[in-house]
Amino acid sequence: MSDYAIQLRGVGKRYPHYVLQGIDLAVTKGTVLGVVGPNGAGKSTLLRILMGLVRADAGRVTMLGRDMPADERWIKARVGFVSCDMALYGAATLRWHMQLVRDLHAGWDDRRATDLLDRLNLDPDQRVGGFSRGQQVKAMLLLAMARRADVLILDEPTTGLDPIARHDVLTLLSATREERSALIFSSHYTEDIASLADHVAFLYGGKQIAHAPSAELLASGKSLDGVFLEQVAALSAGRAA
Amino acid sequence: MNPRVVLRLVRKDCSLMQRPLVAYIAGALAGLAFTVWGGQVGRSAGVTLTLNVLIGVSFHVMLGPVLGERERKTLAFVMSLPVTPIDSALAKLISAFSLFLIPATIAATTLVWLSPIDIPAAMAASHRSLWSHAAGTLAYYAVVLGAWLMFFAVVLGAAIVSESVGWTIGVLAGLLFVAGNFVLQVLPNLHGVGRYLRAMGRGEAALPVTIACEAAGIAAIVAAMLILQHRKTSFV
Repeated sequence: MSDYAIQLRGVGKRYPHYVLQGIDLAVTKGTVLGVVGPNGAGKSTLLRILMGLVRADAGRVTMLGRDMPADERWIKARVGFVSCDMALYGAATLRWHMQLVRDLHAGWDDRRATDLLDRLNLDPDQRVGGFSRGQQVKAMLLLAMARRADVLILDEPTTGLDPIARHDVLTLLSATREERSALIFSSHYTEDIASLADHVAFLYGGKQIAHAPSAELLASGKSLDGVFLEQVAALSAGRAA
Repeated sequence: MNPRVVLRLVRKDCSLMQRPLVAYIAGALAGLAFTVWGGQVGRSAGVTLTLNVLIGVSFHVMLGPVLGERERKTLAFVMSLPVTPIDSALAKLISAFSLFLIPATIAATTLVWLSPIDIPAAMAASHRSLWSHAAGTLAYYAVVLGAWLMFFAVVLGAAIVSESVGWTIGVLAGLLFVAGNFVLQVLPNLHGVGRYLRAMGRGEAALPVTIACEAAGIAAIVAAMLILQHRKTSFV
């Protein structure tokens, strides 16, 4: 049995005006990987490839020992996904969504869902269209976490949230990290990544420019932002030379 | 493909379209009532209302459950559940056909009252068996709904595969132009068409052949759509 929850080898995806290439990442079970990069770096494409929402053109994606997309259904049954680029049905209530996910997931846990409703202070009978952005993210997290997902993939979940909602989301993720095998999490807020991640991957211009333990990256006493900018500057200098 | 997952997704779409569907059914029934009991003016109003319901429900289904999912970003949520692209495409097809078929069946009933012959009276006056009337009625619905469903399936397939409003409207407009001109300009001038239609009316071999051709046409469109869906590389 592999020690890795997620493995990507030579993963690439080509679009007419954008290329993601040569992604090699491994997320050990019990750890959190933070993905850092500017807009257009390839963070969302990478996480969508992991979730099977986008098919890679090159390389191999393995989740929990199974290949994506060959074992897509099996993997999706064990992986929760929340993205800033994803929405729930505005006309339906949260309870309607919970019923939908419960019907499709054998692992749905009603007690866990009730606990999360209390913890996140969400009204299940309110229409999702009436939720604030923060409440919508919390609702998506509830739907991903109440199914007892082994792996959570979060694409910029704290983007656009007010400080209280952002704090609530980070606290929840931190408090529940023992419940799952792995968490992979992208964000523009490097302080969010620094507070949660054991390992950090830097993406820039569709390429992976670094992948290291966060303790190692932060050892110099610089912030994650500073380390990232340093890596980008070194890359640009290397290209110029 | 997992039938349980597909059916659950169909239920989801139907549940989200519940209220509009009730309104379309009410509209189609009102159109039918006007046509049957409204006299000359009511007949004209009824036909117009029924046609509007048919066009309205087609567009609503295309723009709501089919194309709207990607635009409103709910497709990413659905595709993050244990759902494959084929499950999702099949569910869209079944829910769209189901949502279209109910008002379309009422619209097909309205057409009966537009015939120059009083069909219900002619059926009552004839000495044919009840079974013969039932089979004839079923065949009528199969032919009319089969033709409409073939048309609907082409546009629906374009919507599911392209996930683009522009392409869907383009296919719809192109189809209306080609099919409309074919029916109005070409078909009446084709040799033997009148004889074929009369043979269909009498329930001869032309009738099952037509129904089989429509069913094969729909199956071919669905198969082509699933093959194209299988080749897609992005589902959000």
